[in-house]
Amino acid sequence: MFDNFGQQLYNNFILFDRWQLYLSGLGNTLLITFGAALIGIVLGSLVAICKVYARDNPKLKPLDIICDIYLTVIRGTPMMVQVMIFGFIIFATVSFSKMVYVAMLAFGINSGAYVAEIVRAGIQSIDIGQTEAGRSLGLTKNMTMRYIILPQAIRNILPALGNEAIVLLKETAIVGYIAISDLTYQATLIRSRTFSPAPLLIIAVAYLALVMLMTVGLRFMERKLAQSDHR
Amino acid sequence: MITVKDLHKHFGHIKAVNGITEHIHPGEKVVIIGPSGCGKSTFLRCLNLLEQPTSGDIWLQNERITDPKCKVDTLRQRMGMVFQRFNLFPHMTIRQNITLAPIRLKLMSEEEANDNATRLLERVGLPEKADVWPAQLSGGQQQRIAIVRALAMNPMVMLFDEPTSALDPEMVGEVLEVMRELAHEGMTMIVVTHEMGFAREIGNRVLFMDEGCIVEQAPPAQLFDDPQNPRTQSFLSKVL
Repeated sequence: MFDNFGQQLYNNFILFDRWQLYLSGLGNTLLITFGAALIGIVLGSLVAICKVYARDNPKLKPLDIICDIYLTVIRGTPMMVQVMIFGFIIFATVSFSKMVYVAMLAFGINSGAYVAEIVRAGIQSIDIGQTEAGRSLGLTKNMTMRYIILPQAIRNILPALGNEAIVLLKETAIVGYIAISDLTYQATLIRSRTFSPAPLLIIAVAYLALVMLMTVGLRFMERKLAQSDHR
Repeated sequence: MITVKDLHKHFGHIKAVNGITEHIHPGEKVVIIGPSGCGKSTFLRCLNLLEQPTSGDIWLQNERITDPKCKVDTLRQRMGMVFQRFNLFPHMTIRQNITLAPIRLKLMSEEEANDNATRLLERVGLPEKADVWPAQLSGGQQQRIAIVRALAMNPMVMLFDEPTSALDPEMVGEVLEVMRELAHEGMTMIVVTHEMGFAREIGNRVLFMDEGCIVEQAPPAQLFDDPQNPRTQSFLSKVL
């Protein structure tokens, strides 16, 4: 299988400009990942804040229940099933070229559920004294959340959020199921022509490189946010 | 300035504050003492509604702050509070800690707030700490900054919730010194503390609380030297 590996690499990457296929797949993979990460962070933070606010405001109980249903359903069903429900049922009539945005939405909504729990844990990890200090100065609840609690919470949860982003990137490998040509899908296509193991190895390296890049970025952000620790 | 009428605060079946009626005059320094768990902190926290009273009424000047329509946030702008655990914002520099509320609440421009912070820091002897992080300061310094942060809002009354209890003994003095100066400047102060010497020195009036009630109150000399109530006597005999 691995005889003249160099030749196989050539056939599966250079020949017929196949690298362009990988590149366009990579584009979709990145587009879905970043779009979904953005949706996930916004949605997750909103849900987390709703749930935290609902703890001491009975009027928000209905909102809290809606959030709970969202979390339960999304975390209780497989990502792959969710993507197919989005692609083949909810957005079945969407044109093929827009399908990538459907995937983005599906992954974003999925990721939001996990981010919500991470953010909620982060908010709750901040000492109640911080809230009291903010409120005692006359800051509103929202200001206290925005300027005092969230910045500290985000710092604490950055490693967990990074983890979620990494998982998200790798999970997008299933979008081929709704016929979106991401990195994995392109590799499968090429493999069906060449019957070679090379495409899979090529994309494995590509994913690995992306994840390592993300890790470096996260480390950098962590260091940046940890500057107030210096004594 | 502050009037409290039949204030109750219950946590489940625990009556932390059990019927307090009290009046605090402008410029007065009221010190609240009592055994731990007697409700003195809860009482203090009710005054700026960090705890929502179960029943009873509180007026700040002529405004009934226990009215559900009362704007709690603007009320709190007029009441500074200092906590036992300082509660500085660890992700902000000292200057940012001090200027956050005045700037965000649009009470001062950034420039005014910065000037004000510099002036206040000089007053407590920490002008060189403006741009360091809270974690770089000692407990005593952090508490002095916490006082400055509250003062930056130009409050009309300051609430102190055991401000020296979390400090190493050698740092208590520097915090009390700042409070002493504040008292001499005429600030209205309500102080929950275990520092009896301080209570005696700056207090106009000392309230002794036990089981959620004010058991006895008097000017410090009288209360410390000649307590009338047996519970006050027994408490003071243990702490003095």
